[in-house]
Amino acid sequence: MPVAKILRLPLRLAVHACSGLVEPLRALARHRSLFLLLLRRDLADRTSGTVLGFSWLLVQPALQMLAFWFLLELVLQVRFPGRIGFLDYFLVGMLPWLLISEAVMRSTAVLNDLSSLYSRMAFPIVLLPLLPLVMAGAIFGMVYIVLVGLLAGPLAALYAPLIIAALLLWLLPLAYLLSVVGLFVRDFRQFLPFVLTMFMYLTPFLYMPQMLPEAMQPFMVLNPLADILAVVHHLILGLPVTAGNWIRPWLLWLVLLGPAWVIFYRAQPHMREAL
Amino acid sequence: MSVIALRGVGKTYVHYEHVLDRLREVVTGRRCHREHVALHPLDLAVEAGEVVGVVGLNGAGKSTLLKLLANTLQPSMGRLEVRGRVSALLELGAGFHPEMSGRDNVYLSGAVMGLTREQVDALYDSIVDFAGIADFMGEPVKNYSSGMFVRLAFSVATCVTPDVLIVDEALSVGDGIFARKSFDRIMQFKQAGKTIFFCSHSLYQVEALCDRAVWIHEGRVREDGPASVVVAAYNGFLGTPGGAGAIVPADAGAGAAAVTHADPVAADGAVQPAPGAITARLLKVEVEVDGVVGRRLQLTTHRSNLAVRIRFVSDAASPVPTVAVALTGTDGRMITSAGSLNDQRQLLRDTNGVTEVTLSFPRLALLKGRYAVNIYLLCERGIHCYEEAAQIAEIEVSQEGLEQGVVSLPHEWAGSVES
Repeated sequence: MPVAKILRLPLRLAVHACSGLVEPLRALARHRSLFLLLLRRDLADRTSGTVLGFSWLLVQPALQMLAFWFLLELVLQVRFPGRIGFLDYFLVGMLPWLLISEAVMRSTAVLNDLSSLYSRMAFPIVLLPLLPLVMAGAIFGMVYIVLVGLLAGPLAALYAPLIIAALLLWLLPLAYLLSVVGLFVRDFRQFLPFVLTMFMYLTPFLYMPQMLPEAMQPFMVLNPLADILAVVHHLILGLPVTAGNWIRPWLLWLVLLGPAWVIFYRAQPHMREAL
Repeated sequence: MSVIALRGVGKTYVHYEHVLDRLREVVTGRRCHREHVALHPLDLAVEAGEVVGVVGLNGAGKSTLLKLLANTLQPSMGRLEVRGRVSALLELGAGFHPEMSGRDNVYLSGAVMGLTREQVDALYDSIVDFAGIADFMGEPVKNYSSGMFVRLAFSVATCVTPDVLIVDEALSVGDGIFARKSFDRIMQFKQAGKTIFFCSHSLYQVEALCDRAVWIHEGRVREDGPASVVVAAYNGFLGTPGGAGAIVPADAGAGAAAVTHADPVAADGAVQPAPGAITARLLKVEVEVDGVVGRRLQLTTHRSNLAVRIRFVSDAASPVPTVAVALTGTDGRMITSAGSLNDQRQLLRDTNGVTEVTLSFPRLALLKGRYAVNIYLLCERGIHCYEEAAQIAEIEVSQEGLEQGVVSLPHEWAGSVES
């Protein structure tokens, strides 16, 4: 009996992975006008009472990059060996990283922050984890396209929206998983900034992977973000990439998709009580 | 066909003493939580067009039941089916976002209710019109007064005729004209044959409005049947030690007089009729015993005359309201009542819109004890309460004989009795 169960596991995983991909998209299609209003509500939340209003969403990442440019280019004058300029390398990797960390950060909080929507009303909760994803994609996507166009030319700029779209798709199971974890295990949100900082140091966009000590190199395969950034750097700056860089993140994605959806689905009835 | 069908539906709240207890329970398999049963498994079927009232003490599980029906709570067990569009007036405006404009909130709420943008477009004008706040639709709702907020929320929640309407406590929202308008809208749903499920502490409203009542006690259905029967049983229960003081705080008898209207009823009665602002309100109420007017009065059984004088003003455009007087015991149990509607007395109003009536109880037959006088100003159908003056006066009855009980009924002796 257990053998049969184990044999059926890949099949179940595949079925749930399909639902994990299809169900959120179907909900999005069904409630698209509601989702647009939620986006507006989110925008209103973040920028209400400011003079610049919605522009802050673009000005903020721009200022962040300006600060890094000031520190790294003007003050520290970091230089890479070879033909790639450090600043180009850094900025091309920095923005996807900002998108990921923003989406992760907000995913863990979204079910709490927007609890007023569903705590006392019937509401399609399945939409909520999509909100930080689409929001992060919209904010950083626009900046990224402009930036890549400036750094690597208009042809490379065509890759930017594709990269953003692929990133969002990759983050989908993570968003559902983290939204549940963030709601039920509050401690996780206290711990998360540390995790994100560690990932920031362990993911090569402040340095090139080759600059890591020899002993550290093999461990890079454990960090899917390192793979993702290697692909991004390859697509836009033409840096070398391995097949593993392409495959590993999507393998992880495939494995996560089903369980993340099942956990979210099962947690749904308990969400109001967890508040 | 049942519109609402519950089979073995129950609700248990689980409480973990410590955050890690949930984890410990998973790992060790030992129970580490406390359970609170809000609703024991119950069966309930409601047919289309039924108006069901739910009565019960606070914490009996009424709200839990309503939330289950509104789908804002998941049952812990059993099967729950509600057919058709459900509109719940449970917590109005709970989904409104303070930073967004009234307009955007209408669209947001509409979308949550499952309406498309085009459908909300079509309904938008009627929603704004009903709420009567057209000038403020561009403002963020955080700037709304609480009255405006609840008006808009009610207007949105009821913009589409639901198949099932779930109402908690209040049959009307807001104040003045809007209270009447919102009440009328709910009545329209009733007349249109919609199913209404509502819980109320007002036994009178339940009896006046519902075909059927369900009495929930400690998470179980204690009685389910014709409203008059269930209400009578519940009212009887309120007089027993288990139910005593459930409605009225224990110390409410201490001469406390409360009028729910913002400004107190003027003692001298010199109040100008408010033109059009409110559809009806009390101007003056007076309780008199044998020529003595006051808040705390002494009476003697079968000797004293109790008179209640009520002066109110009403909008000439609306039908003349009705009034009712209720005598309650200090535990909140209703002893007796009299209403102009029930007595089929049509009240008249003068050219200023003022009506003044006196209700007398000659040689009051109440036996010794303390009682409170409550006055209600109601709509012409006697359901919607414009204003209430709860425990406006306390009367202390003393008696001469040893007759037991609360009331002395007319009686005769016959047979071997000296005449």
